Amino acid sequence: MFQIGYVFNELRRRSGRTILTALGLAAGVGLVIGIIGVSQGLDEAQAKVLAPLSSIGTDVLVTRVVGATSTSPGTSPTPSPSAGSFNDPRAGGGFFGGGFGGNNNLNLQDVSALESENQNVVTDLSKLGKPGTKFTHDFFLSATLLSFPDAAVQQIEQLPGVTSATPGLTLLAEHQTGTVPQIVASFQTGGNTVQQNVTAPALTAAQQAAIQACFEKRFAAGGGGGFGGPQPSASPGSGGERRGAFESCLPASLRNFRATFRNPLRTIQQIVNPPQTDIQTTSYNVAGIDPASPHAGLVTTDQLTAGKWLTAGQPNQILVASSYANKNNLKVGSTITINGTTYTVVGLVNPTLTGSTADIYFPLSTLQKMSSKAGRVTQVLVKTSSASNVDAVAAEISKLLPGAQVVTTKSLAAQVTGSLGDAKKLSSRLGGALGVIVLAAAFIIAILLTLSSVAKRVREIGTLRAIGWSKSRVVRQVLAETVGIGLFGGVVGVGIGYAAAAAVGAFTPALTATTAGVPNIGSSSLARFVGVQSSTTTSTVSLHAPVHPTTLLLGIGFAIVGGLLAGAIGGWRAARLAPAEALRNVG
Amino acid sequence: MSEMNGNGQLYKLDNVSRTFRVGSQEVRAVDGIDLEIGRGEFVAVQGPSGSGKSTLLQLLGALDKPTSGSLSFDGRELTKLGQGDLTKVRSRDIGFIFQSFNLIPTLTAEENVELAMVPIGLNRGKRRARGTDLLEQVGLATRSKHLPSKLSGGEQQRVAIARALANEPRVLLADEPTGNLDSQTADEVVAILRKLSQERDVTVVLVTHADEVATRATRRLRMRDGKLLDQPAPSLS
Repeated sequence: MFQIGYVFNELRRRSGRTILTALGLAAGVGLVIGIIGVSQGLDEAQAKVLAPLSSIGTDVLVTRVVGATSTSPGTSPTPSPSAGSFNDPRAGGGFFGGGFGGNNNLNLQDVSALESENQNVVTDLSKLGKPGTKFTHDFFLSATLLSFPDAAVQQIEQLPGVTSATPGLTLLAEHQTGTVPQIVASFQTGGNTVQQNVTAPALTAAQQAAIQACFEKRFAAGGGGGFGGPQPSASPGSGGERRGAFESCLPASLRNFRATFRNPLRTIQQIVNPPQTDIQTTSYNVAGIDPASPHAGLVTTDQLTAGKWLTAGQPNQILVASSYANKNNLKVGSTITINGTTYTVVGLVNPTLTGSTADIYFPLSTLQKMSSKAGRVTQVLVKTSSASNVDAVAAEISKLLPGAQVVTTKSLAAQVTGSLGDAKKLSSRLGGALGVIVLAAAFIIAILLTLSSVAKRVREIGTLRAIGWSKSRVVRQVLAETVGIGLFGGVVGVGIGYAAAAAVGAFTPALTATTAGVPNIGSSSLARFVGVQSSTTTSTVSLHAPVHPTTLLLGIGFAIVGGLLAGAIGGWRAARLAPAEALRNVG
Repeated sequence: MSEMNGNGQLYKLDNVSRTFRVGSQEVRAVDGIDLEIGRGEFVAVQGPSGSGKSTLLQLLGALDKPTSGSLSFDGRELTKLGQGDLTKVRSRDIGFIFQSFNLIPTLTAEENVELAMVPIGLNRGKRRARGTDLLEQVGLATRSKHLPSKLSGGEQQRVAIARALANEPRVLLADEPTGNLDSQTADEVVAILRKLSQERDVTVVLVTHADEVATRATRRLRMRDGKLLDQPAPSLS
C-alpha cells in the first residue's frame, strides 16, 4: 500500500512543512468546529426557549389572552384591525367569542373578563376579622391568562388528529399575613340638596272655567276678595280661608305636582390614608393539573424529581416545584396550610413550561374550588397523533375557538426575535457559507503546501520512479503523507475547536429571545389590557457552543478529506513527472 | 527477463535516437546510435557535457524511450513497452547510481536501501536482512542508522550502490558516480563497481568525465553530439 515508516519519517523529519500544513488544516477545522458549535449552541438555546412545549410532550398550546389571535403557521400574531370587531358578526363565535377591536380597543368581553377575574385583588380588611386579630389569607388572581370554560377541552379532544387535550389552570397567588387594623375606612353619604326648576303644565280651557266657577262660588259665599295674595294683617278666618279656597279650586294635577328625575350615577374616587397595618404580602404561582393525565399537562411525570404523582380522588395532595421546595424547606411529606385547608406534598417536580410554571400544583378541581373558578381553565395542552398533524390541528382549534391563542412549537420558532433570533438568522445565513469558506481556505492552503512540497521533492520522486516505484505507489505515498498531516491537523483542530467553543461560552454575552405568543405573567392579559400590543415573552439565554462527538468526528473527517484532496492533487502532480525528466531537471 | 541470450548480449541498440524540443528547436540528444552491450561488461561512456551520455543512460535504464530506433534489453524490445512494464523492468533488472547520490534525505541509510526492495514485494524482514547485508558489503554496516546528511559523500555513494544492488539487478547504470567524490573515494567506488561486475556478472554502464575512472572499464565509449565516436566490439572480460 504505502511505506508507513517512510510516511512517518517524512512527517517527522520535515516537521516544519508538516506542522505548517497541519496548522492550516487545524485552523480551518477548528473554526468549522467552532462555527458548528455556535450553530448547535444557538439551536439548543432556541430549543431551550421553545422547550416549554416540546419538553412536556405538547404539540399545541391553547390559551386565551385579550385580543389574542392564532399563532398557527400562516397567521400573524399581531391582532388585525380588520379581523373583526365587537360588532362584527365574525367576532362572536363560540364561548371564546370576541375578536379584535383595533390596536387599542379591547373588546368588551375581554374587558369584563379581566375585570371580573381580577376583582378580588382588593383586600377587604374589614372582612378579615376584628381589629387586632392576626390573619393569614391567600388570594388567587387571574393575573396571567383569561380563563375559559373547560368545555373547550372536550371540544378540542374531539377534533381529528388530536390524541389528547389536557386542561391546566394557572393563577397568581397572593399570600397575606398581618393584623386587622383598628380603622379600615369610614364613608358618610347623603345630606346633599338637589334643586330643580319645574314649569307647571298649562291649564286647559275647561280647567280655567272650573277654577273660575269655584272661585266665584267660594268668594260669593265668603264675601269680597278675588285672586289675591295673603293679606298682611289678615285675621284668622279671612286671608287664610281665601288661600285655602284658592288651593281647593286648583285642579288635582297642580295641587299634587310631581316630577320624576334621577340623580346621575357617579363614581367618587378619593385618596384615603391607608390604615396602619403590618400586612406582609408574598406572591407565588399555582397551577391546577389533571391527576389523571400524568404524561401530558403543565407538568408530567417526566419532570417528577422526587416522590410520586398526584393520586386521583385525593384533593389535598400537591406537587411542589423543586426550587420553591428548596426555598421554603419543603420536601415530600411536608404539609402546607392554605386558607385553613392542609395540603400534603406528595412529589417534587422540575417544571419547564416557561410562563406557566408554578410553585405549587394542585389537582385541577381543588384549585378551581379554592379560587372560585369552578369549570374554568386557562390552558389546554394538546397532543397530536403525529408531527405532520400539528398545523392542521392548530388551524382547526383556531376555527373552533375564535380568539384563542394557538401556539405550536413550529410557529413559536419562527417568531423568536431578539439577539438570539438575530444570531440564529446570522448563523443560518452566514454560518454555512463561512464554514465552507474557512474550510476551502484550509484545503487550498494544504493543497498549495503539498504542491510546494512535491515541487521540492522532484529529485526524490524521480529517484523513486527510477528504482522501480510505480506512479500509483508514488501517489499513494504522497496521499498517505497528507492524510497523516490531515489527521494531525484534525487532532490539533479539535483542540482549537474546543478552545473556540470555550471562548464563545466565556465571552459571548447572554442572548435575549423574544417569543410572541408564549403566555407569561405580565405580558399577556394585563399587558394587553394596559396597551401592550402583543403578548410576548423575553427570556435571556446564555450561548454555549457545545462540541459533540459527532462534531469532533466531522472535524477530523474534514481534515482527512483536506489531506486526501491535497494528497490527490500533489500525488497527481508527482505522478505526471516523467522519471527521466525529473532526474534531468535536477541533474 | 531471466532468459539469457545465447551470445550473452544484454543490450542491443539499433539506430536509436532521442530528440527533445527546446522552444522551436529540436535537439537530438542521442543521434542514431548502434550499440551492443554484453552481460558482465564494465562499460565507461565518456564525452563532453551535452554529448548525450546521460540521455543514453536513461534510455538504457528504461527511464525514457527512444524517439526512433530499436532498443532491446535481454531480448525484449523496450520501445514497445508501456510505462507500467518499463517500471517493472527498472524495479527488477536495473540499478541506478547518480552523481548526487539521490538518497531520500529523511530516511536512514538502511531505509534508503530497503526502499528499492519495496516494488519487488519483499516483506519488511527480508528487506531489512538484505539491506543490512548490502551495507556490510559496501563497508557501511556501522552507519546503517545514519541519515544521509550525517554521511560523507563517499559513504552516501556507497549507500546508493547498496540501494542499486538491492533488487539484485542485471545491470547497474551509474551517472557520474564519482563526480562529487575525491579521487581516493572515487577509486574505492569504482573498485566496488568493478568487483560487482566481475563477481556477480552484473553489467555496469558508467558515465564519467574522468579518464582514470574510464580506464578501469572493460570498454570505453566516446560520445559527441549524440553520436558514438567509436564502437568497438564488446569484449566480455
